Amino acid sequence: MSFKKKLWLIFGPVIVAILILLVFLVSPFKLNVNKKILPGASISQSVDVFKGTAIKKAALEKNYVAFMGSSELSRIDPLHPSVLARKYHRSYRPFLLGAAGSQSLSHYWAMQGINRQLKNKKAVFIISPQWFVKKGIDPQAFAYYYSNLQVITWLKTADKSEMDIYAAKRLLQMKNLHSDSIIEDAVERIASGKTLTDIQKTYVDLKYNELSHEDQLFSVLHVNTRTSIIKRQMKQLPDTYNYSKLDKLAYDLGKKNTTNNPFEVDNVFWKKRLKGAYKNLQNEQSDFNYVSSPEYADFQLVLNQFAKNNTNVLFVIPPINKSWAKYTGLSMKMIATFDKKIKYQLKQQGFTNIVDMSKDGSEHYFMQDTIHLGWRGWLKLDKYVDPFLTKKQKTPKFKINNYFYSKNWQNLHGNSLNKVVD
Amino acid sequence: MINMQPYENPEYFLWLSLALLPIIIGLLKGKRWRIYETIVSFAFLFLIFDANKFVQGLALIGYVAFEMCLMFAYFKYRQKRNDTWVFVIAVLLAIFPLVIVKITPVFEHGAASIIGFLGISYLTFKIVGIIMETRDGMIKSLDFLKVLHFILFFPTISSGPIDRYRRFIKDYDTVPSVEKYVNMLGKSVHYIFLGFLYKFILAYYFGSVLLPQVSALALAHGGISWYLVEYMYVYSMDLFFDFAGYSLFAVGTSYAMGIETPMNFNLPFISKNIKDFWNRWHMTLSFWFRDYIYMRLVFFLMKKKLVKNKVNLANLGYLTLFLIMGFWHGVTWYYIVYGLFHACAIIICDVWLRFKKKHRDKIPSNRFTKIFAIFLTFNLVCFSFLIFSGFLNTLFFMKH
Amino acid sequence: MKDTVLNILVDLTGSDEVKKDLDVNLFETGLLDSMGTVQLLLELESECGVDAPVSEFERSEWDTPNKIIAKVEAMTNEL
Repeated sequence: MSFKKKLWLIFGPVIVAILILLVFLVSPFKLNVNKKILPGASISQSVDVFKGTAIKKAALEKNYVAFMGSSELSRIDPLHPSVLARKYHRSYRPFLLGAAGSQSLSHYWAMQGINRQLKNKKAVFIISPQWFVKKGIDPQAFAYYYSNLQVITWLKTADKSEMDIYAAKRLLQMKNLHSDSIIEDAVERIASGKTLTDIQKTYVDLKYNELSHEDQLFSVLHVNTRTSIIKRQMKQLPDTYNYSKLDKLAYDLGKKNTTNNPFEVDNVFWKKRLKGAYKNLQNEQSDFNYVSSPEYADFQLVLNQFAKNNTNVLFVIPPINKSWAKYTGLSMKMIATFDKKIKYQLKQQGFTNIVDMSKDGSEHYFMQDTIHLGWRGWLKLDKYVDPFLTKKQKTPKFKINNYFYSKNWQNLHGNSLNKVVD
Repeated sequence: MINMQPYENPEYFLWLSLALLPIIIGLLKGKRWRIYETIVSFAFLFLIFDANKFVQGLALIGYVAFEMCLMFAYFKYRQKRNDTWVFVIAVLLAIFPLVIVKITPVFEHGAASIIGFLGISYLTFKIVGIIMETRDGMIKSLDFLKVLHFILFFPTISSGPIDRYRRFIKDYDTVPSVEKYVNMLGKSVHYIFLGFLYKFILAYYFGSVLLPQVSALALAHGGISWYLVEYMYVYSMDLFFDFAGYSLFAVGTSYAMGIETPMNFNLPFISKNIKDFWNRWHMTLSFWFRDYIYMRLVFFLMKKKLVKNKVNLANLGYLTLFLIMGFWHGVTWYYIVYGLFHACAIIICDVWLRFKKKHRDKIPSNRFTKIFAIFLTFNLVCFSFLIFSGFLNTLFFMKH
Repeated sequence: MKDTVLNILVDLTGSDEVKKDLDVNLFETGLLDSMGTVQLLLELESECGVDAPVSEFERSEWDTPNKIIAKVEAMTNEL
């Protein structure tokens, strides 16, 4: 064989492979997500699903409703919203978005690929008071839930609005997020109130095609790990929905599973997480404060995006296990102030569907452990969730106020807060 | 500033192929453009150690200056005299920076030493090899630029394979014939594409998709569970495909430059026993340990008649080799237990092989026994990787 | 010289195979391992007077009886 021919045999396939890859990556076609993976994906709380868009889009275009929150979503007992919806053949299915460490800012970025799917739809959003710590979201936790696809999608529509500028600034505060300097420069331009250059726009468009194809392709790899848990929990429920019967069941389940500690905390959680440490935790939380935090402005990003999408959202403020709070010295007065502040931010801007459970912390078996909803808590939430999602609701009227992005609002506390809120 | 870690993403391969193109054309024309090669090497080194890796870059420069002085001083000395103690001191000095880097995290709560940099272990192996062969009188000349080119050869700088000076220089000094070089190019492309399959598809699937899930399940369950068994296999697959993929890139790149860097893996999961495994797994490392530690130690002990019994001698050699390998991986209990585990496995394997030799007629050997041997070895190896992963440490000794 | 080397090999491998097939691969068949190699080098030193350091030992050049004999002969000629 001549040596030129041999070279062709070696490099010919390489050249062809590169050409196919280029066509695949930059051309604007779409691969469809296999609908069979949706039930599993909706309860997986997988970080790849959260960071991607293909699976979320496919689900929300069907009868799935975004349930956004954090670690409480993984407390899957028989009264968990995903179990109830399946067992009682509701018209909706929850799509769980978020897990431990996903706070407002992560949710804002995770919404970027699904804004169109959220438009004029409904959603449920569980606000954890524990997010509102002094420093706000931990940059490492943020990086875990953040992806280039989110920012590229956002850059396609980002403009000079207060929301986009604030989001860009927050992004730049999280260090070492991008290995891609073009993206970093583009975010910096938005942060300084400019729009993208033509080169940046072209790059964003090409990169978007590449990343979304990657995302669509890798959705094939999604592994279903939790459907069996849901099925097991469904078996424990009676065939017809009866609130007081279910409440009794929830009570019994709670009682059965909280026998090794005086705080009505789930046995397994107690054994693994608290038993060793709880002695040192007495009065440890007396100086916890959820009233001044950058999280309020991050949360404003979420509200602003919801308003822009005209999404009707049911906000949930979950309780805290009261006997545990008493033991750790967590101030209930501070929690009441937090409650007042967050509700003010919601109501002032037209978000009036709020389930405030913050005073239910002393109900028996309402919490599965210290701060996470469980048995009876989930059931009570269902009393609001079901009608909200299955009945027609009044069209909300939003009026976004950029004041809620300000440092002043983030840190507002004490008397000055009272003056504003009351 | 742009920073590029070796083989990390498609962009790297784009720049790499552009940089290699002139070298390839040159070699096809029967010419080696050494100055251009040096410039390319330097550029890629610079891109590894610039920007936020700047401190590592300084550490590298300091390290290389120190080791170069050491090697040349010893070489010069060896031309006149050959005292054992000078040799011992030279080797100790050569590994001194690596020892510091390995020990620092133990005393500094896991913080990395500032004199460390990506690839320090692999550079040290190459340098100690040069010193030992100088001692044996096998290296007759030491050229400053060639030594530098050898230890800083950019395709293999971060994680090997570990080449040998004499072998490398033989390739570097010659230009392969066009027929041979075209064959090498074919292999180069084959290796790099196999590497893509290993590293970016299989290792990604095992390491980035499956591993976090089984790891979370195993941690949530706690203690010993089936999830832990799953973790063991998934981790083993990830470890192999990640490292073998990386090695294929390094070998493939070397071949395109007309350098036949030795292979690192040869189907390790079909090994019929642990000894066979170490002839197939991370080969350049295990051969390095075999040639420079095990054989030299055994040679020394046998010559001085310090240990009479041959079996004891071999076992002592294994224990020393694998303990050093354990410590080299890092000063933590699980790396050291990993080393001891393999030493014991090889000692038991030797007992069995001797027994088998004696009773050859009575022990059956058929397809089933062969498959069973492979199955047993595979599981033993995966178990050792579970120890190696440090996951047991997280599972049992850390709060989560 | 040839006989001396072969006798050493028979001794080390515990098998006559090395005499029957002078091109048998000593490492692939498991007849010789690292330990045996070191013994071989030491025996060659005492019996034939060739001084072969471990560095000299490149497996692919020493893997059959014929190759070993050729190596040893070359080295004794240098003396």
